[in-house]
Amino acid sequence: MAPDTILEIKEVTRLFGGLAALKDVSFTVERGKIKAMIGPNGAGKTTMFDVLTGILRPTSGDVFLKGESVVGRRPDQITERGMIRTFQTVRLFEGMTALENVMVGCHCRMESGFVSNSLRLPSARREEALLREEAMAALKDVGLHTRANEIGTNLPYGQQRLLELARALASKPDILLLDEPAAGLNQYETGELSSLLLDFRGKGLTILIVEHDMGLVMQMSDEIVVLDYGEVIASGTPEVVQNDPRVIEAYLGIEA
Amino acid sequence: MSTNDSRQVRLLWGSVAVVAAIVVATLIDKGSIGLQLILSGLTVGSIYALVAMGFSVIYSTTRVINFAQGGFSMLGGMLMYTFSVQAHLPPWLGLILAVAIVTAFGAGFERAAINPLKDKSVITIIIITIGLSIFMTAVAKWIWGTDPVKIAAFTGEKPLRFLGASLVPQSLWVFGFTLLAVVLVFAFFNRTLLGKGMRAAADNPDAASLVGVSSSTSSLVAWTLAAGLGAAAGVVIAPINFAQYSAGTTLGLKGFSAAVLGGLGSAPGAVVGGLVLGVLETITASYLPSGYKDAVAFLILILVLLVRPQGLLGKPESVKV
Amino acid sequence: MEGQLTRQSETNWRTYRTLIIVAVFVFLVPVWARFIPGDVLHMDIVNIMVLAGVYACAVIGLNLLVGYGGQISLGHAAFFGVGAYTTAILCTRLHWFPSWLGIIAGAALAGVVGWLVGKPVLRLKGNYLAMATLGLGEIAFILFQQVKGLTGGTVGILDIPPLSVFGLKFDTDFKLFFVVWALVMVLMLLSINLVYSRVGRALRALHSSEVAADAMGVNTSRYKVQVFVLSAVFAGLGGALFAHFQKYINPESFTLALSILFITMVVVGGMGNIWGGLVGVVILTFLPSVIQALPQWIPGLPSGLSNFSNYELVLYGLLLIGFMIFLPKGVAYGLARAGGFTEMRARHLRDRIKARKIESH
Repeated sequence: MAPDTILEIKEVTRLFGGLAALKDVSFTVERGKIKAMIGPNGAGKTTMFDVLTGILRPTSGDVFLKGESVVGRRPDQITERGMIRTFQTVRLFEGMTALENVMVGCHCRMESGFVSNSLRLPSARREEALLREEAMAALKDVGLHTRANEIGTNLPYGQQRLLELARALASKPDILLLDEPAAGLNQYETGELSSLLLDFRGKGLTILIVEHDMGLVMQMSDEIVVLDYGEVIASGTPEVVQNDPRVIEAYLGIEA
Repeated sequence: MSTNDSRQVRLLWGSVAVVAAIVVATLIDKGSIGLQLILSGLTVGSIYALVAMGFSVIYSTTRVINFAQGGFSMLGGMLMYTFSVQAHLPPWLGLILAVAIVTAFGAGFERAAINPLKDKSVITIIIITIGLSIFMTAVAKWIWGTDPVKIAAFTGEKPLRFLGASLVPQSLWVFGFTLLAVVLVFAFFNRTLLGKGMRAAADNPDAASLVGVSSSTSSLVAWTLAAGLGAAAGVVIAPINFAQYSAGTTLGLKGFSAAVLGGLGSAPGAVVGGLVLGVLETITASYLPSGYKDAVAFLILILVLLVRPQGLLGKPESVKV
Repeated sequence: MEGQLTRQSETNWRTYRTLIIVAVFVFLVPVWARFIPGDVLHMDIVNIMVLAGVYACAVIGLNLLVGYGGQISLGHAAFFGVGAYTTAILCTRLHWFPSWLGIIAGAALAGVVGWLVGKPVLRLKGNYLAMATLGLGEIAFILFQQVKGLTGGTVGILDIPPLSVFGLKFDTDFKLFFVVWALVMVLMLLSINLVYSRVGRALRALHSSEVAADAMGVNTSRYKVQVFVLSAVFAGLGGALFAHFQKYINPESFTLALSILFITMVVVGGMGNIWGGLVGVVILTFLPSVIQALPQWIPGLPSGLSNFSNYELVLYGLLLIGFMIFLPKGVAYGLARAGGFTEMRARHLRDRIKARKIESH
């Protein structure tokens, strides 16, 4: 595997009963790039994310994160190793403030456990202060630091999406998997999201994004891979993919 | 078929084989006493099966575990005592009145305490049904005191002889009623629109309401049915079991284990689970000190939950990610 | 304003302050209990408080498991019992065995049992977990009854020596009251620290959405087992104290009814609220006595109702149902709202005064 490849997906197949949700899917994601995974509904994109993050096991095939196979690992282990995802529907933690939500994002970066925390040992207190700092920084990065103490689920929808993003970023991942981050956002919010993501890429973050908003995809991505019925039907730069006849056929009726 | 499915099938047949082996071994070891044990096991098992069916009815439609299910049976039996023994009413009238009162009570409780709280957490609902169980036991103790009460058997007490073993006639009534109940419940949930709609409402409330079955209706019908079934069961059981204020809890726990074993949500499963549990319990009591008998139900419960939560005949519940 | 009510303080100080107030209030019970009207002996109250205290140990742990971690246990009386039997057996069989060590042993063994059963069982969720823990609790009860050589069977264990620590003997209710409640305050302190920490957030996250918590890097299965073990240790501690308080134990003390009582205390008190456990314990431990004493305070109550052991249980069941219908979030939440409203009014008043001062300049 090339040294600059953060994520390699190798012939991943996932069967549900007799149905192949993913069939022999292979592609790579290079460091510092934004790669989009697109395809009609039901193409297997969220299933792929589930496989990548350990929620599902592939029926066959392998996934390499920074050169190491992560198939069979628990989701929290994969997060620890530098790959984190957001969800299609907002899954903020209820009853917790924006700051607390993001602090959970930092969870895997710290170690203090039951004993050191119940006794409030200095090591735990130091970690707590550090966690708070990092969480606030993540909130600042997405522009939500003024609403740190509000209950996450009380925020307007667009800001909830940003909060999810901040929470994922707090874990300081090597690669970020975004599942339809622009869903439900208006044009202004989508534009903001786009500049934020480009910003993060500039800082070295690798992004794999599933999106239906073609404008966003074409504008932002360095590379695109197209799935249909669980198979890769095209991949390459936005220009190449846009003109690929198989892609156009798969998307008939959907605006590019 | 995936490896998990084939593992499950092997488990299923494996457990059937184990149970069969235990039964055969007992028969060989104990001869005609063994047959006696099996028959009492089947009798007690039918009692468990009836309670288990009540659990299944409510669970399969509302995903609620009604900890007071045993209480419905207990009240049925106690009310039957009041009507047929204390008030000297003819038994058929006593049966109808007892079942009617408990059914009305069950329906009323569902409207007052279950339906308004259907969105609350699992633990809240559990506490509510536990509260009901406590309430019913306490009321029974208040009204009828602590002594068990005797109700006349329907067709006499003279035991019937059968291959060296004996069976009281009331047992046949219990078997018969169990059979009737399982046929009716199965037919209701699989052949009527309301029943099928109710089962659908548990998994897909929107689709069900399109067919005219809201989850609210579903819940009400389920509780009414379970209360009525439980009460009728209680009446039929009472001549064998001696109705008593505390019977609800024991019946509930055993019936519950039987329901899980057979498969929560399956009426035939309830019968299978009940019979198997009854037989295994009775056999255990003949080999081990009697106190361990009760542990059988709970060991089976835990084993089933860990290894095959949908029980013998149930369908696995889809886990929403 | 909602934000003020529902946010957990970022520092622990506000809660510590409340803890100190509660502690003072509790330790002064022997003083202010004398002022309760009627034929109520204040020493009876101290006695009930000891019981409430040992129950509180179990309930505080259970609140962490249920209220914060979002799990269920209908079998916690088993851990209470393990703690009690451990110390009872050790202190009566080995006459030299110090009771304070017995208590530690009881808590530790309860924790070990919690770990052994927790690992497999916590893979289950919701109703299934409730059923499995219920089954486990019942099995423990049967074992307490049947393993006669160890536990004394249905007779139980008698003549348990009173608690003594370094020569100090706690043989009266009064002395036990202080020791037990001091321990309760320590457990509360540990809980508060835990809740406002990374661990507490992880628990609340996994309660809210296990999948999202996993995705964020929380090892949810490990946390579930850990908080389960913690609640088992706390319950074992309470049970061991219970043994030295009652001085005799038998299986009847550790039935399903007790498990249900524990979980009810958590739910009625208020899940997910740090004070929920204590509030629930106090309410439900005193409820039977309050119901019994009612005819004394409400002269009009007909004497037909005074067949105590009957109507008291009827009322208990009704109250349980009522609490769930009307106060599903628990009493502590209701109190917090009331407190929050008062605080809100106070702040509004202050703001209005300030505004007027500015105007008049």
